[in-house]
Amino acid sequence: MPPEKFAPLDPVIHSQVRLAVLSILVSAKKAEFSYLRKAIGTTDGNLSTHLSKLEEAGYISVKKSFKGKKPLTTCSLTEKGRDAFSRYLRALEGYVPIEKS
Amino acid sequence: MNELEAKEEIRLIQEMIQKTRQATAESGTLFFFWGIWVVLAIIGNYVLVFLEKYSWIWLNWTVFVVLGMIYSGFYSIRQEKRQEAATYVQMASRYLVIACAVGYVLLGLVFPLFNLYSYGVIPVLIAVMAGIELFGIGGIYEWNLLKWCAAVWWLGSLGMLLVHVYYRTLVFVPLIILGYLLPGWVLRSKYHRGIKGHAS
Repeated sequence: MPPEKFAPLDPVIHSQVRLAVLSILVSAKKAEFSYLRKAIGTTDGNLSTHLSKLEEAGYISVKKSFKGKKPLTTCSLTEKGRDAFSRYLRALEGYVPIEKS
Repeated sequence: MNELEAKEEIRLIQEMIQKTRQATAESGTLFFFWGIWVVLAIIGNYVLVFLEKYSWIWLNWTVFVVLGMIYSGFYSIRQEKRQEAATYVQMASRYLVIACAVGYVLLGLVFPLFNLYSYGVIPVLIAVMAGIELFGIGGIYEWNLLKWCAAVWWLGSLGMLLVHVYYRTLVFVPLIILGYLLPGWVLRSKYHRGIKGHAS
């Protein structure tokens, strides 16, 4: 399907942190909270807020467990999230002119 | 959104995917381990030949392979627990390695017990299998060096046909250096560079 010219971007994904989270989860089966925080370079509180938004939209699933005695938060992409990310990428392509070689 | 912002978002997506790839890269430890472990098994093999204890050769390989697999299993589980992210690429590579391990055991240890082929064929089959394993991993990680290492193993399997049956196992030594220890060393340095990059 060709990219739509200037298609509206999904507001749930259209944020630096949320886009970064989904970009990581699209290639990773699962990622721990600590990994996401380090890779994105954000604070615990900020990341928690963005993860909640993605979870509310059904784009990611968040599992809470324990690693030894420490609490462990693991995130993974849902099917809905994968579809939304693909749509977002297609929409994004509409804003970037295709370079002809 | 304008073109510049769109390009910036695409750059961010690529950067995150690349970072995750580096953070979950293989450390090369198991390449080193198996390279050295198999060389030790070959030494054991020729010591037994020298002592004319031919019936013990199968046991020598079985002990080395089983102990090696136990270590590899524990090492992989420990690494998995330590890692903060797990990629699909890693999973595909692990399944391939497990499938090949089953292949090594069947071709090298189980089938010869049923006299399906002579012992001289075993090194040839193992070299073919090692080539399949490295080519597969090279394809999954898009790493051409491993594909070339696979070609080295396949050429080695052909080369073994020109060598007397008694010395075929010795051909493993240069193959292990070129096709296992060399990529292991490159993987290790890449892994450490990746860790430094991720930490900074």
